[in-house]
Amino acid sequence: MIEVKDITKKFGRKQVLKGVTFTAEKGEITCLIGINGVGKTTILNAIMALTPIKTGEILIDGEKLKPATFNHITFIPDAITVLPQMTIEESMQFMKDYYGTWNDDRAQELLSFFKLKPEEKISSLSKGNTAKANLLLGLALDVDYILMDEPFSGIDMFSREQIADVFTSHLIEDRGVIITTHEIGDIEHLIDKVVLLDDGVVKKQFYTEEIRAAEGKSVIDVMREEYKS
Amino acid sequence: MKINFNRREPVYVQVIRYFKQQIATNMFEPGQEIPSRRELAGEIKINPNTVQRAYKEMEEQGLIYTEGNLPSKITQDEQVLKAVREELIMDAVDEFVATVQPVHAPFEEIITLLQEKYEQAIEGKGDEQ
Repeated sequence: MIEVKDITKKFGRKQVLKGVTFTAEKGEITCLIGINGVGKTTILNAIMALTPIKTGEILIDGEKLKPATFNHITFIPDAITVLPQMTIEESMQFMKDYYGTWNDDRAQELLSFFKLKPEEKISSLSKGNTAKANLLLGLALDVDYILMDEPFSGIDMFSREQIADVFTSHLIEDRGVIITTHEIGDIEHLIDKVVLLDDGVVKKQFYTEEIRAAEGKSVIDVMREEYKS
Repeated sequence: MKINFNRREPVYVQVIRYFKQQIATNMFEPGQEIPSRRELAGEIKINPNTVQRAYKEMEEQGLIYTEGNLPSKITQDEQVLKAVREELIMDAVDEFVATVQPVHAPFEEIITLLQEKYEQAIEGKGDEQ
């Protein structure tokens, strides 16, 4: 389980996170939702210790963040970070050299799942295929938790559908996923849990099936209520 | 397999209803293997945990059964199958009554219309075959 406990963060004088608390379980897909600039990416960066937090605590499986933690968790940013002149194959090799948790079999499976050609250069890929290559490089690692920043942002419908299919496939297995988005429509039925963020705090967190059962509301209904008030 | 999901109702409930409809209309036959959790999740594009919950519930209701590590199967229990069929008809009738009753049309008129439409539906199906 990833536990984010009352974390705060300031950029200069701007208080971006004002005490954010939520949990994300293994075997579940937790979705951080909020309009842009609400601090979603900052939270993911904080979990990866890429940005220091001012106060609060982050625990992974009950333990504080330490170098070994990052053998169990990976962060897939919203843009690909390997060099654009590399081919997909070269970027896979790069990841393999760099990360001990690289899983060749899963990488090959992801390659065919996304219908990507290993000899193609990253710089020559369409936006949709760049997003898929980016996901491949992260998902191929044998880690327990995967953080994904806006994997659906700015790509065509068919690529979005193909990426959404990953979430129902065995490629995710029973790993824990945190995904950020400002567009819930595509993935409403794929996620377990929603964490609604606004103005640096968690407005509400809930299981999607529970909110449907208990209140007869869709995720979008809840968002409308929370963001209007 | 295609399910049009209502966004305001638990998805697992809708999956169970879909299975009941398929069982009642013989699209799923008694003893037939059903897809694994992942297979169904991929096919209808929903969370595998939700499929898991639907399967667990269906197992408890006796709609499906699992032997050892084999794939789950549709029940062959006549009583359960009969109950599923009855439940489906009853739900449809309840819905029909709830829609039609507030119009206050004479009952005989409704029955005549129902009979006509029902016969048309059967004939329509006959033409297709």
